[in-house]
Amino acid sequence: MRTVWTVLFIVVGFLLQIVSYFFLAAPLGTPATAAHSEPRLPFAPTLFILGVVLVFLAAVVYELLPERVPEGSATRRAP
Amino acid sequence: MAADVRELPLGIGRFSPWLWVWLALSTSLVAVGLYAYSWQWSEGLVVTGLRNLGSMAGATWGLYIAFDVYFAGVSFAGISMAALIRLLRLEHLESVSRMGELLAIIAAVAAAGCVLVDLGQPARGIVNLFRYGRPQSPFFGTFTLVIAGYLFASLVYFYLDGRKDAALLAKRPSRLQGFYRLWAAGYQDTPEERARHHRASLWLAVAIVPLAVTANATLGFVFGIQTGRPGWYSALQAPGFAVMAGVSGIGLLLVIAAILRRALGVAERLREETFRTLHGILLVLVLTYLYFTAAELLTVTYAAPEVERRVSTAILTGPYAGLYWTSVGTLALAAVVLGAAWLRELFGLPLPAFRPGVAWALGVLAVVLGLAGWSTGSSALRWALAVTGALFVLSLVPLAGRSWMAGGVVSGLLVNVAAVGKRLLIVVPSQTHGALLPYPVGSYAPTWVEYSVILGLFGLGSLLYTLVVKVFPILEVEEGR
Repeated sequence: MRTVWTVLFIVVGFLLQIVSYFFLAAPLGTPATAAHSEPRLPFAPTLFILGVVLVFLAAVVYELLPERVPEGSATRRAP
Repeated sequence: MAADVRELPLGIGRFSPWLWVWLALSTSLVAVGLYAYSWQWSEGLVVTGLRNLGSMAGATWGLYIAFDVYFAGVSFAGISMAALIRLLRLEHLESVSRMGELLAIIAAVAAAGCVLVDLGQPARGIVNLFRYGRPQSPFFGTFTLVIAGYLFASLVYFYLDGRKDAALLAKRPSRLQGFYRLWAAGYQDTPEERARHHRASLWLAVAIVPLAVTANATLGFVFGIQTGRPGWYSALQAPGFAVMAGVSGIGLLLVIAAILRRALGVAERLREETFRTLHGILLVLVLTYLYFTAAELLTVTYAAPEVERRVSTAILTGPYAGLYWTSVGTLALAAVVLGAAWLRELFGLPLPAFRPGVAWALGVLAVVLGLAGWSTGSSALRWALAVTGALFVLSLVPLAGRSWMAGGVVSGLLVNVAAVGKRLLIVVPSQTHGALLPYPVGSYAPTWVEYSVILGLFGLGSLLYTLVVKVFPILEVEEGR
């Protein structure tokens, strides 16, 4: 479950970055009209930043999310 | 702080009279900075030395942006060092890893502060950036990768790295126990948890190093891809930014490590071997930057276009010559200080034995000449200051050669002076002397408001760093101690 969540955070993070960069922000290339300077979706840059944050947050998810321990087995402590 | 907190290791919760003086000084600087910024807020940017380009013959970027580049560089070096220590398993540098992480966080906050104070309307700037920013622009890349990237990655790295120590400290009764328990978040130091932390931090380090290099290069590209601004358009900008960032960050890390070694009494944890390695890395980076400087110098003086020559003449022999030669000279002196120790180590080169009294006398003379030169504006006195200052630093070479730590501290301070100078020289002269249109030559002189705000940011940085060191161990806690 932990791995699934971690991978999900990474995938969603990178997807957000790619989609916001290429499809939601202002179009690439020299702006031909004033409209080309506007993002296609307002706050698209925020989505890009959110993507960066999600990718790094995956490390916290991986370390903090409790592991589902099978019943009857005890977690060993370090010597 | 309660007596029970004083039982915690590495000076946590212990405040000596000197520390109170340090905190009072840092807080005073923050107060001065806040006062200056409140003045700028109410009166506008006209109270700074910043003016429009061209018709107003000024510079729209000055001290604030120069220090933004400086702080972002320090942040880059701090987090990159921490990541490389993990990736390359540099065990004798592990003791400075957390110091680097904390330095990265605080420097990123200071860098963000520099950008905010440079905006006439910070609130509007922030909202518009999130709403209309163009992710393809290097400016936006600088903000997302440097601030969102460095800051968030460093926070995650610092948090995860500290969980084990938080769990250890949470076992001891103290007023901070709840805080440590929250930080540990159930960490019990089982073999599974250790392995998971090892994997996570390794992947984080793998992600951080290219991110840090890309982010710092983006900052270089803000200047380097501007064809309409002679002096900026250069393929050397991005690598130069990254190397100088390493120079200033490692220099500062050396100084911080030396201060903490003394203040926390941890000579057995922060050994000469640690300083020796940082010393070596710094020497390589300083020599690389000096090579870049020489390559740049040859390119702009050999057969450069007229507009490029105008900027380079202003830097080499014009109004910026003092700052340029001081920066290059300081960097070269740092290379001498660093190199002398390695020559002694590798070839047994004897260092001349200066009496400490000579060094002190030269230092006092340099300060007197500096004050006299400043008040009278005499160029002869300024040259005398430069010569005396250089002799003072040279007299420190034998002293610095006695230990890797002493050499590291002296050169760490020198390279940071040089870094600030070089950052100003990258930002300002191209604006005042690099117009392609027939505008008059401009000038820029920071006002007390800008100096005070920057001092305030330094005060904030030292205050935050000190307070974190006083509530959380800056070195890994040794179990059983």
